[in-house]
Amino acid sequence: MDIFLQQLANGLTIGSMFALVALGYTMVYGVMKLINFAHGDMVAASAFVGLTIYTQVMGQATSLLAVIVIFLLTALTMACVGVILERLAYRPLRNAPRLSAVVSALGASLVIQNGIMLVWGPRMRIFPELVPQVYWDFNGVVISMIQVIILVLSLVLMLALYLFVEKTRVGAAVRAASIDQDAARLMGINVNSIIALIFIIGSSLGAVGGLFIGLYYRGITFNMGWQYGLYAFIAAILGGIGNIPGAMIGGMLLGLFNAFIAGYVSSTWADAFTFILLILILIVRPTGILGERVAEKV
Amino acid sequence: MAHNELILTNVTKRFGGLTAVDDLSMKVQEGQIYGIIGPNGAGKTTVFNCITGIYKSEEGSVNWRGEEIRGLTPYQIVDRGIVRTFQTIRLFSQMSVAENIMSGRHIKSCQHWWHGIVPTPGKKRDELDNWKKVEQQLNFFNLSEFAAMPAGSLPYGIQRRVEMARAMAVDPTLLILDEPAAGLNDKETMELLETIFKIRDQGITVLLIEHDMDMVMEVTDYLTVINFGKQIAEGTPEEIQKNPAVIEAYLGSEDDDE
Amino acid sequence: MNNLNRFGLPVFILVMAVLPYTLNERWQAVAITFLVFSVVALSQDIVLGKSGMFNMGQALFFGMGAYTTAILNNHFGWPIVATIPLAILIPAIFGILLAGPIVHLRGDYLLVVTIGFNIVFVQVLQNNLGGVTGGPNGIFGLDSLKILGANLTSQIAVYYFAFVVLLLTLWVMSNLEKSKPGRALHYLREDQLAAESIGINTRVYKIFAFGLGAGIAGLAGTVFATQYAAVSPEAFDFIQSVLFFSIVLVGGSSIPGVMLGVFVMFVVPEIFREFATWRYFVFGFAMILAMILRPRGIVPATFGKIPKFLIKGGSHGA
Repeated sequence: MDIFLQQLANGLTIGSMFALVALGYTMVYGVMKLINFAHGDMVAASAFVGLTIYTQVMGQATSLLAVIVIFLLTALTMACVGVILERLAYRPLRNAPRLSAVVSALGASLVIQNGIMLVWGPRMRIFPELVPQVYWDFNGVVISMIQVIILVLSLVLMLALYLFVEKTRVGAAVRAASIDQDAARLMGINVNSIIALIFIIGSSLGAVGGLFIGLYYRGITFNMGWQYGLYAFIAAILGGIGNIPGAMIGGMLLGLFNAFIAGYVSSTWADAFTFILLILILIVRPTGILGERVAEKV
Repeated sequence: MAHNELILTNVTKRFGGLTAVDDLSMKVQEGQIYGIIGPNGAGKTTVFNCITGIYKSEEGSVNWRGEEIRGLTPYQIVDRGIVRTFQTIRLFSQMSVAENIMSGRHIKSCQHWWHGIVPTPGKKRDELDNWKKVEQQLNFFNLSEFAAMPAGSLPYGIQRRVEMARAMAVDPTLLILDEPAAGLNDKETMELLETIFKIRDQGITVLLIEHDMDMVMEVTDYLTVINFGKQIAEGTPEEIQKNPAVIEAYLGSEDDDE
Repeated sequence: MNNLNRFGLPVFILVMAVLPYTLNERWQAVAITFLVFSVVALSQDIVLGKSGMFNMGQALFFGMGAYTTAILNNHFGWPIVATIPLAILIPAIFGILLAGPIVHLRGDYLLVVTIGFNIVFVQVLQNNLGGVTGGPNGIFGLDSLKILGANLTSQIAVYYFAFVVLLLTLWVMSNLEKSKPGRALHYLREDQLAAESIGINTRVYKIFAFGLGAGIAGLAGTVFATQYAAVSPEAFDFIQSVLFFSIVLVGGSSIPGVMLGVFVMFVVPEIFREFATWRYFVFGFAMILAMILRPRGIVPATFGKIPKFLIKGGSHGA
């Protein structure tokens, strides 16, 4: 039972990080039908950007205010990078064959990943201890303050995003653009701004996710984006890619699944089990858990 | 062996709450040019999709030469001699016209999967035989000069011909045409009529959907009129023209179309 | 373009045939790598370029061939040459079995599932499943090539082994282009529904493409294992698959295009070694730029040839 509760807590923590990152994939996919392979590397980059802001800008301050500023500045920086990325690498390919945009995304991924390496070096860096190391022990189940913060803040952000998309006019425009870009354009929606907005939101959420990864795992490497990005992407697919609540559910499920595999089986097989789960789900439900079945019009 | 007859009995196809084809029965006899007409959204194309295996109807039977073909896949149905064209032309647009037509020879070719890896003399012969068949279709449809051009780059009217040539390359028993005159000008429509008659003269049964009423009345031997998925009339063109239900449902609404 | 087809290939073969004698040891090794990776990239082209299936796991089959050779040679003492049939067959059978349940998946889903297969494969190798894969270190100390009793230890022998494999691959691909299965792949890539409606069982041909691509990649794996007399898991990581995927699309799914892609990705960095750390950074930009300037690839695919007697009027080249 202890293992169960412990892994439940760990799983929810990892799951909320997956979910935050998965939202970036799913929103971009929803509107552009493009797997933004660079998103994982953006997440990795944000951990490094946060590190630099902490040491260079904030003078290594760890007060609550300083931490909030670090989060905001990192999110802002990454939002700008996201918009630039879209402008340079994706917008010119909007009418090209779909695979061209995929290759461009892979190229962008290489640029960002190796950009991190050139700036911050190839070796692992240690992320600062922005949150005090406080642990609570509930009869053998240890929960850290970092875990609580990650979970609560992720849930708040996801709820805010959900309300934004479902309840506001701009949110409605985002939904319209993901159903049919051309129709949305005809209805007077500026699809370019919507896409820019999506990159701003997705990159900011990814930045928060990246900082969480730094806080939680401490060690950050230039090439970790592929690892976390792939998991988040799987989460998005599990939930039904393009579907915002789906990404949240997918992320949580994947986090829990991973934690339980690590707890009960072995962490050396975690990747394999994750993919076997993914493959099985896709065989049963080819469009994910919340994905809609789209029939081709003949 | 039964006659080359296509018999639909009580075919019903639903999409969620919408009944696109409702209890439809019809019989296409060998050698006929059979038309299905009806207003937009009446379910005509869905009938074709049910016959050609793209959809499976929930109820009823689709019988071809005495065999139940409901539930077979599209390629199994092609194998039984039924080939179709599409309302929205679906060519292999980056490939040449000749290659497009060659796709119709796929099921007639006797090559196996290993011929994609290792050639044999038999394969070479088979390739040549089938390309000769393609040449026949190119000539029949007056497409020789476009043989090497990518299909997607050609004008609409020519693409329609390529699509028919591709279907004819299968050597079908029943040819199904989904609005073959859509988007054609008057001259092209006249040529199409001639082509359809020539195809019929080869002993091929033709089933078509058409919007152009003048053309339907001229070309078909027998007609079924459907509206909201239901058959509202059937008969020869002369009978249909006099049928009050048809005039109300279809001909009466023609003004809206124009 | 016509001239390239007519003279390009014989000239290329001639140059490649005498090349190793003009190179020192190090460059011979680079040349072998070029040949081996060209074969893998061409096998990826069958699945991705010709059939349009988003396969991002080709390194799996490459690795499976290499490990088949390594295990049979190292654990069971088979000569390298004797392992070739199984190094083709085992990946091909796996390709068919793995493709079976997934080929109906939509493009991006297929992509992530094939990445998944690749990652599971590497994890299996690292965890030393069955005690034969050697874990994270892999297997080393393979025998050298022996043909008709002659022990061919030199790198030049490996080079010609790789060269013969490449020629064989090119031959198979040209047969494929002029065959019913090859055209079926193009048809289903262009429009699956239209292909089904003209009588093509697309599922069978998709699986065929996976099996054929896997078999060729497996053969390349044998050459790879022979060259290094060793195999290890990281050589078949899914990042390798990503590179093969990109090479085919940047090159443009044509034989010159794919080989150019391999050259740029694996040979050019050897020329500019001092810029090694900048390698992928520059490639990333090059990939974006290539796609913006030439969305269909640097040397785009031309579809199957049609016989000359069909071309009339002459004014329209294919």
